[in-house]
Amino acid sequence: MAVTVSIPTILRTHTGGEKSVEAKGATVLEVIDDVESRHAGIKGRLVKEEKLHRFINVYVNDEDVRFAGGLEAEVKDGDTLTILPAVAGG
Amino acid sequence: MARFESLLDALGGTPLVGLPRLSPTHDVRLWAKLEDRNPTGSIKDRPALAMIEAAEREGKLRRGSTILEPTSGNTGISLAMAAKLKGYGLVCVMPENTSTERKQLLQAYGARIVFSPAAGGSNEAVRRAKELAEANPDWVMLYQYGNPANAEAHYRGTGPELLKDLPTLTHFVGGLGTTGTLVGVGRYLHEAKPDVQVIAAEPRYGELVYGLRNLDEGFVPELYDPSVLNGRYSVGAYDALRRTRELLENEGIFAGISTGAVLHAALAVAEKAAARGETADVAFVVADAGWKYLSTGAYAGSLDEAAARLDGQLWA
Repeated sequence: MAVTVSIPTILRTHTGGEKSVEAKGATVLEVIDDVESRHAGIKGRLVKEEKLHRFINVYVNDEDVRFAGGLEAEVKDGDTLTILPAVAGG
Repeated sequence: MARFESLLDALGGTPLVGLPRLSPTHDVRLWAKLEDRNPTGSIKDRPALAMIEAAEREGKLRRGSTILEPTSGNTGISLAMAAKLKGYGLVCVMPENTSTERKQLLQAYGARIVFSPAAGGSNEAVRRAKELAEANPDWVMLYQYGNPANAEAHYRGTGPELLKDLPTLTHFVGGLGTTGTLVGVGRYLHEAKPDVQVIAAEPRYGELVYGLRNLDEGFVPELYDPSVLNGRYSVGAYDALRRTRELLENEGIFAGISTGAVLHAALAVAEKAAARGETADVAFVVADAGWKYLSTGAYAGSLDEAAARLDGQLWA
């Protein structure tokens, strides 16, 4: 088992166009580091000064990680980690 | 009281109804605040009227003025009604991928619509509105994403109404768009009853809506204050539609699609409380009724088909 990471259109240049990739890790940061090891450059788009980029939202399953420990939020085998740019609602 | 001097005076004071069939246990109860019972049928009547009244007090709006606003629909409809009654013009900048009913209602109220491209969703509407504001300095942009009167309308109205009707409230769940509802209600509840948990449900749209050219085009509303939130859920079209239909089938409430997303998060919160053996009263917002979404096919056919039809649409 692993974690499924869903990649938004804007970051697929790093994954050769793949919509989702498999990764391992027990925290959001470990998962991002694991993705970075195969898709170089993606971490720099997601993480700025050891925090999530202000226009990037990351969800473990459906929950925003900013309310669950941020980059240290727990991730379990079988979870889906969804990365999305912040857009306006209303 | 059920008698009002005009439609504008009939704002707020909406019913809070229990959901005995969808509540997980006798001790964990769900409550729906029916914001579709506002003058134009959505919660946006509250911020729209509050923003207009604030601009009038500040002397920015005078009879004959033109209001400009980026909106995916409901705020525009609320502004259009108030503008008609108060003698203002209205220009709405709206993404082209919104339901046809929203466009028709705006036109019926006499608003001018400037369409922004579907890709990029409301971000593009905001960008286009800011350009128009610069090119037309005599127009008054109320700007729901950054106007403090938006959140204040909920701090003064929605929040106190909820606590008055449900003093045992433990959780509040609302939709996250401009963030005005959650920030305003959240601030009020945290002051009045600090243990209340405030939970956001945001729509997760199809890929088209997230189609920014670069990350720096991302958008977080100026009003957003994450310190008032205890959690934030992202809910896709399939789950939103499933819950919208469950609300109708089990409790008789015909709500818009964004309400399904909010109910999905409210049920997650309620089920967690039930699993811990807690007693909870979970209130959530029904932002509007389903009428404006009938043409999207949200209520017909299989959930998979209905969700596929919403892909690329701004359904909340």
